[in-house]
Amino acid sequence: MVNDPYPDYMRESIKIVEKTREKRLKVTMDHCSPDEIDDVLNNYHPDFIKAQKASLRFGVSKGEVVPLEVAKIIETKSVLDPKKVDLNKIDFVVDLLIIGGGGAGANAALWAIKNGVKAENILIATKLRMGDSNTTMAQGGIQAAVREVDSPAIHYLDAIGGGHYENDPPLTRRLVRDAPLLLQWYEKLGMMFDKFDDGTMDAIHGGGTSRKRMHFAKDFTGAEIMKTLRDEVFNKEIPIIEFSPAVELIKDDKGQVAGAVLLNLDSKEYITVKAKATVVTTGGFGRLHIQGFPTSNHYGATFDGCVMGYRAGAPLKLMKSVQYHPTGAAFPEQIVGLLVTEKVRGKGAQVLNKNGEQFCFPLETRDVEASLIIRECGGRNNGLVTPSGQPGLWLDSPLIDQIHGEGTIAKNFAAMVRQFERFGVNMIEDPILIYPTLHYQNGGLAIDENTATAVKNLYAAGEVCGGTHGSNRLMGNSLLEISVFGRAAGITTAKSIPKVSLGKLTLDHITKYNALCDEHKVKNPPSPILFPDYSRQEHKDRIIPTNFLV
Amino acid sequence: MTEKIAYYPGCTAKSYAKYMDLTAREVMKKFDIELVELTRWTCCGTFFGLAEDNLTSQLAPMRNMIRTREDGFTDLTTTCSMCYNTLKRANILIQNDEEKASRLNAFMYEEEDYEGDVRVWHLLELLLEKVDIAGIAKKIVNPLKGLKVAPYYGCTLLRPKEVTIDKNPEKPTILSDLIFALGAEAVETPYMTECCGSYLTVKDKHLVADRTNRIIGSAARREADLLVVSCPLCQFNLDRRQKEARELNSALPEIPVVYFTQLMALALGVDVKELGFHEHYVDPTPVLRKRKLLGTPMKVPVKVKK
Amino acid sequence: MDKTTTEVTYEKVKIIVANTEFEVPSNLTIMKAFEYLGWRLDRGVGCRGGFCGACSTIYRLKGDHKLYTGLACATKVEDGMIVAQIPISPANKKLYDIESLKAVPNTMLEFYPEIARCISCNTCTKACPMDIEVMDYVQAALRGDIALAATLSFDCIMCGLCATRCPAEITQFNVGVLARRLYGRYIQPEYKQMTKRVKEIEKGKYDAELEKLMKTDKKGLAKLYAERVREKA
Ligand SMILES: Cc1cc2nc3c(=O)[nH]c(=O)nc-3n(C[C@H](O)[C@H](O)[C@H](O)COP(=O)(O)OP(=O)(O)OC[C@H]3O[C@@H](n4cnc5c(N)ncnc54)[C@H](O)[C@@H]3O)c2cc1C
Ligand code: SF4
Ligand code: SF4
Ligand code: SF4
Ligand code: SF4
Ligand code: FES
Repeated sequence: MVNDPYPDYMRESIKIVEKTREKRLKVTMDHCSPDEIDDVLNNYHPDFIKAQKASLRFGVSKGEVVPLEVAKIIETKSVLDPKKVDLNKIDFVVDLLIIGGGGAGANAALWAIKNGVKAENILIATKLRMGDSNTTMAQGGIQAAVREVDSPAIHYLDAIGGGHYENDPPLTRRLVRDAPLLLQWYEKLGMMFDKFDDGTMDAIHGGGTSRKRMHFAKDFTGAEIMKTLRDEVFNKEIPIIEFSPAVELIKDDKGQVAGAVLLNLDSKEYITVKAKATVVTTGGFGRLHIQGFPTSNHYGATFDGCVMGYRAGAPLKLMKSVQYHPTGAAFPEQIVGLLVTEKVRGKGAQVLNKNGEQFCFPLETRDVEASLIIRECGGRNNGLVTPSGQPGLWLDSPLIDQIHGEGTIAKNFAAMVRQFERFGVNMIEDPILIYPTLHYQNGGLAIDENTATAVKNLYAAGEVCGGTHGSNRLMGNSLLEISVFGRAAGITTAKSIPKVSLGKLTLDHITKYNALCDEHKVKNPPSPILFPDYSRQEHKDRIIPTNFLV
Repeated sequence: MTEKIAYYPGCTAKSYAKYMDLTAREVMKKFDIELVELTRWTCCGTFFGLAEDNLTSQLAPMRNMIRTREDGFTDLTTTCSMCYNTLKRANILIQNDEEKASRLNAFMYEEEDYEGDVRVWHLLELLLEKVDIAGIAKKIVNPLKGLKVAPYYGCTLLRPKEVTIDKNPEKPTILSDLIFALGAEAVETPYMTECCGSYLTVKDKHLVADRTNRIIGSAARREADLLVVSCPLCQFNLDRRQKEARELNSALPEIPVVYFTQLMALALGVDVKELGFHEHYVDPTPVLRKRKLLGTPMKVPVKVKK
Repeated sequence: MDKTTTEVTYEKVKIIVANTEFEVPSNLTIMKAFEYLGWRLDRGVGCRGGFCGACSTIYRLKGDHKLYTGLACATKVEDGMIVAQIPISPANKKLYDIESLKAVPNTMLEFYPEIARCISCNTCTKACPMDIEVMDYVQAALRGDIALAATLSFDCIMCGLCATRCPAEITQFNVGVLARRLYGRYIQPEYKQMTKRVKEIEKGKYDAELEKLMKTDKKGLAKLYAERVREKA
């Protein structure tokens, strides 16, 4: 083979995979028993490693168990020095401030308009460009109980069981109940979901579903949603400021949230926004690289919304659990961590060890599947290790064409095929190497079913929140969450805005929080961090600080 | 056996002139010729091309020739005279100007080289060559008896002389021959080879209306029932612009303007409902009804060639 | 570099950014090479996985006159590569209310008349990092073939590279969005069962059942969960 991307020892293992393929074709492994699930989770899921957890020492959720990386950026001072901010000069006075330009943010803005908020009285502040978000990256699909054989109640049970019964029932109810409404809205907006000739949307299984209810737009579901929502946000002429992440919330002397301080990434100036309602839709935390895992998340997924909300007094919830997607790319090195959508397994690709053997049902819930893979590699030593030291197992993608006919992979997984092809790997002919990747922030800000946090005028929607999915989210329930709760935030704030009266603006809560940090002698670097830092120490050591704002 | 030939519909044929396209396909089927639309094609390059006297304007037509080769054909036909003109001229340029051809090929380095070896046909030309007038007449099931039809060529079928589809571009007869073959009567006018005003219709509709007034007026004076054309733009100018023309000359009678493919389809027994007459500004059906040409066509056994 | 990269030594290549030569390991993407040089990016970066179109990059290769385009997150560095980024592609998106549009051939031209200026030079197709037949979808839009324009442009990540290279100054990606929305809204048939389900939900058909589940304790739920029958794939 010319220019084989796989080194010899991996190619040898592929040959074994090819040899066993025919036999495996007809064999599917059984689901794990409940006991085995408990066992594998307890022993192999990263969430169960006690040394990797801490309980928060101060703030509204004192005692909440969180990953070390999260504790590090919560238990620390703000990047913002409250004394340096002049709150007498407000740059934007609006009714509704939306922090975050992903799917939840766009939905909140559009539904606020539908419910009477004027577009010009909204401001979307976002860190990168409008739409640069985890939403854009979602490939697999969105759940909604639409089919005759399905019902919101079945959907509820799947979500609750998958979430290990730790879900917040009112949130999960709203999730499943509103699902068809949102999918229909998306259809009306003109999103191109995969449909049959009579208009019926195609639907498939995802890990942990008992009905086929994953609707999708090829393997670009999130991109299709985001592109259309963004187009709609532009059509409605909603004011947006890009490259201006929020760094702290502003409160008033009555203890209500009253807007936010943003950072202009170019001039490094701060920008003040006063708002009657503030919705945090900043998404997840993949770029914190919990326990050193690679991540599938976009570059701006750094937990900022939770940090800001926490300092303003909004509790966090279910932070102990983190979602690792079982199949992140483990090879080639350039794409380590990027997602290989669950649909690849849904269509029949099996997970195999280096000896070409199956060792589990390929569509367990994500936490179980990820733990089984970690066990097979670390615990049983049946995995491969790439030249750059990344462990991994085979995902036998060529099986898909063998089952469904030639061309199926190319047609259904164009994005995925391209991603591997760019670096020489042909997933139609060769299996691909996978390993769990840090994927989703299960916990987050606590909200009620109308998206209100515990702090007045502060709302949150999307991945930044915790509760809807319990301690494990099912595939397709997150695109759903940003839709359902983005909409809910728009409706709720449209109702609340006319009743709000704001007092004198203040950043006292930051001053107080900083004092708490002093009290606990924290030495962590300030937060929110806004971006991950991938520069090497030899560069850091030589930096002359030029940022005089902080 | 059905003969297959690569077919270039042209953009207008996909929207405004969709019945020109549909009837062309129907008509050719009757003669056992299948028009196979190119798998990929671009505008012929006439429309609002960026560049006029520039090689870039040859990219589009040349690329369509390349697509023809890709689809495994040696011949390409089109119904729109404007497309025909553009494709044919580009082809002639490529055949005769080696230097320009090689520059164009170099620019399109991502494509196979093209040497001008596709033969470009206008559908009328193709019909005459492959079926001929007698062959057409043989298939007529609904002879257009008593119908007076004024042929209108415009310019792109005839000029420049290198591309003309008629031996005698100054006094062409192809359309009249066809009209007679369909059983109708041809009414030639001195305006039949004059320009209709072309794209000026966008910028200055009144100038075009003035030409429409003359062209339609001259046909009316010769008591033509309708005009027959082979170009969507001519059709638009002569049909739609009658509205503006009537502002200039309130006495101008309404005369419908149809594509030769529609007229042929009618004579060949295609259901009148399929002809798209409802999309015309001046509806041809009243005059056709008057001439009793809308009745059920008689069924004649169709002989299969060879 | 993302956290998994352990130190393996790859041979170094030279890349040129802002007329300055830098040495970077040959296995890196352009984006990771920038970070290797100590830059903390806040422009031209988004998903880092070829999905968002934030990292549009133009480059030339050693001894080659061509101007190449690509995504910084999905293109490996090469020796002698001269690189610059285009983090934003300026465009005047046309405003519309999708509900008041019609999926007729002329709609595309009405909003984006400049598509008629397309000279079929195919530069856009050559520029597209997603291997989309961009020229073909612009041409389909021009002749009003909305379905073809929509399906051909489906994978577009709106990076804008095509638009920055187009001699006719067309913003192809906006043309594509309009085509797709018209297609999704008007050409794909409505999902009837969904309309039915939405009505059922609005009438409260599932409320009681959900209420009951909400009140069921963990043990009860676990039992129900274990009893589920998984629909055949
Ligand atoms: C690769 C991948 C595949 C996935 N596949 C699926 C799937 O198939 N199905 C499914 O249901 N879910 C899937 N998910 C999960 C789902 O996409 C996300 O959970 C969801 O889209 C999050 O949406 P959001 O609006 O809450 O956050 P995001 O879409 O991430 O948007 C957050 C926005 O806030 C901005 N932001 C962040 N911090 C700040 C700040 N300080 N100030 C201002 N703005 C800020 C960000 O730049 C971003 O624009 C996937 C996720 C990934 C990463
Ligand atoms: S004549 Fe006009 S419409 Fe027809 S293809 Fe040529 S340019 Fe396009
Ligand atoms: S539109 Fe006028 S100018 Fe063009 S071909 Fe027809 S007659 Fe000639
Ligand atoms: S670059 Fe512009 S002009 Fe050239 S083919 Fe593409 S759209 Fe047409
Ligand atoms: S079509 Fe244009 S904007 Fe879309 S991905 Fe290709 S180059 Fe980028
Ligand atoms: S960063 Fe999103 S495409 Fe490169």
